[in-house]
Amino acid sequence: MSIVIEAANLVFQPYVLLVIFGAAAFGMFVGAIPGLTATMATALLVPVTFFMDPVPAIATIVTATAMAIFAGDIPGTLLRMPGTPASAAYVQDAYAMTQQGRPEAALGASLVFSSIGGIFGTLVLITASPVLAEIALKFSSFEYFWLVVLGLSCAVFISPGSPARGLIALFIGLFAATVGLDNPAAVPRYTFGSVEMMGGVQFIPAMIGLFAVSEVIRAFIKRASDVRPPAAMSKSIFRQQATNLVTYPVQALRGSILGTAIGALPGAGADIAAWISYAVSKKFSKTPEKFGTGHVEGLVEAGASNNGAMSGAWIPALVFGIPGDSITAIVIGVLYIKGINPGPMVFITQPEMIYAVFIVFLLANLIMLPLGWIAIKGARHVLSIPQKVLMPVILMFCMVGSFAINNSVFGIGLMLIFGIIGFLMEENDIPIAPAILGLVLGPMLEQNFVTSMIKSDGSFLAFFERPIAAGLGLFSIAIWAIPLVLWLLHRRSARQNLT
Amino acid sequence: MRVTDLTLGLLTLLGGIAIYLSAINFHAIPGQDYGAGTMPRAIAFVTGLVGVFIITKAVMAGERLPGLQLAEWTRSGSAVLRMLAVLGLIVAYIVVSPVVGFLPTAFCVMLVAMLILGVRIPTAIIVSAVTSVAIQQSFGKLLLVPLPRSDFLNFFW
Repeated sequence: MSIVIEAANLVFQPYVLLVIFGAAAFGMFVGAIPGLTATMATALLVPVTFFMDPVPAIATIVTATAMAIFAGDIPGTLLRMPGTPASAAYVQDAYAMTQQGRPEAALGASLVFSSIGGIFGTLVLITASPVLAEIALKFSSFEYFWLVVLGLSCAVFISPGSPARGLIALFIGLFAATVGLDNPAAVPRYTFGSVEMMGGVQFIPAMIGLFAVSEVIRAFIKRASDVRPPAAMSKSIFRQQATNLVTYPVQALRGSILGTAIGALPGAGADIAAWISYAVSKKFSKTPEKFGTGHVEGLVEAGASNNGAMSGAWIPALVFGIPGDSITAIVIGVLYIKGINPGPMVFITQPEMIYAVFIVFLLANLIMLPLGWIAIKGARHVLSIPQKVLMPVILMFCMVGSFAINNSVFGIGLMLIFGIIGFLMEENDIPIAPAILGLVLGPMLEQNFVTSMIKSDGSFLAFFERPIAAGLGLFSIAIWAIPLVLWLLHRRSARQNLT
Repeated sequence: MRVTDLTLGLLTLLGGIAIYLSAINFHAIPGQDYGAGTMPRAIAFVTGLVGVFIITKAVMAGERLPGLQLAEWTRSGSAVLRMLAVLGLIVAYIVVSPVVGFLPTAFCVMLVAMLILGVRIPTAIIVSAVTSVAIQQSFGKLLLVPLPRSDFLNFFW
């Protein structure tokens, strides 16, 4: 107990609290700008942390990251420009709610359930880190392969329209992910001699193109002045979420658990977690037909999962010093600079520091509520701007956001190409979302598939030899096989009825 | 611009074949059977299967010839021009901004885009100018994104 009090003393200092507020505002600002990511917010803060003591340094990064991940939902909900691949999972519902005049309901659900997921993940981090980290480290390339297949399958099946069209979108994304040098043999693929193409297709310009530029093109075709901005809601954000909490407690809990568990797997992270949670939510929903039309249920589960995964990613980072994602990779560097060496010994040698980090996590997820409320109240005014003024401004943000990824106009070129692809896809009822997940998870799928094939000497049976891999594999196959079997049975009975 | 199911299936099948052919020459990891070509070939195989599935379904539904259905907006010349204009503005930004700098290019791109959408000239000028400077200050100064500079507007940096 004395360690917890000592840790609280380290955190509840005016200077540390001020730093937390400043970092929260910064994270909210960066996350809400289309094209800028939580990773970018973290990287930008690293030089600032050089001048701080360990606790405020870690507090800065933790708070800014949590805020930036939530704030990524703001442009997604209001403008259909998801800030992260994770928020792309539920952007269809969130944007549909905005078009129905309920942007505050969508953003409020994102905010409150992100906070709940984040707090749940932190509690797991505090109580069960070593156990979960042990399980996570048992995942080999076989388990990761099936986990990625599961995530991609979910993306195909949660998309509106036929699974065949979802698969086309997925393979567009997977094919785009093969571009560049980042492959097992380090051979340049589809680079056409361009040095910039060797770096591959970055997902941020692609995501901006597929979602936002295609929307801008449509607005220009319709001549945006004809589009009426949706009415703003005046109902309290938090009162609506109390109703959601009573209606969807299982979804919130399930999203938090799944998000934390998947987040704890190094390299898996929030992206897969949000997609799987959204698919699980749709599968077990009493009203699956409402998903994609502005239904809050998927937002509740995937939103909780998103931030739960962020906390979960810290489990292997703190227990073993293994980064779960790019953000924790940066943080581990900062921890070393500050003299905190992540690993099992840190819980024994510097327990007050670790507990201080846990307290900061809880604070960051709590502070998200009032600051998020202010951000939502401010951001909704964007919708009162006439579309004919807003669309050119969005176009400029798209270009600057795409440029900022590599500080090169190559990113804008990518954005343009994917904008045209996204426009043509939507004209043909091909969903966009699976393409994004294919692009994000393509390299992970390839690496784990090739590694597994080499390890097993080309035997596919090896993919089912380990218990967790077998479970994940059978589940993934069942996702594809069951609808196919049901379809065949349905056809057979229809034919019998005819005869 | 919507293609029929049969056309979509054929395009998907052709895409799969093209990916397979392009991946033939990708080397494997030395001493292994797998490497750079493994993933593109797997994508090609499944893409081809999806293509065949869509073609089969379309033929079973009675489609016999591939076709293209033009959307309503393609019959309006001004809508097509506006679509080409937005693509042209992005290309113009890519070409011009590294030479002229961010501020004047961003201002002109937004101004033209707003005028195309029917915003009144004074409003378009004010919004374009304020937004350009706001983006330059937030991205260029606060977030240290090296936006292309303009020699004659150096005082903004």
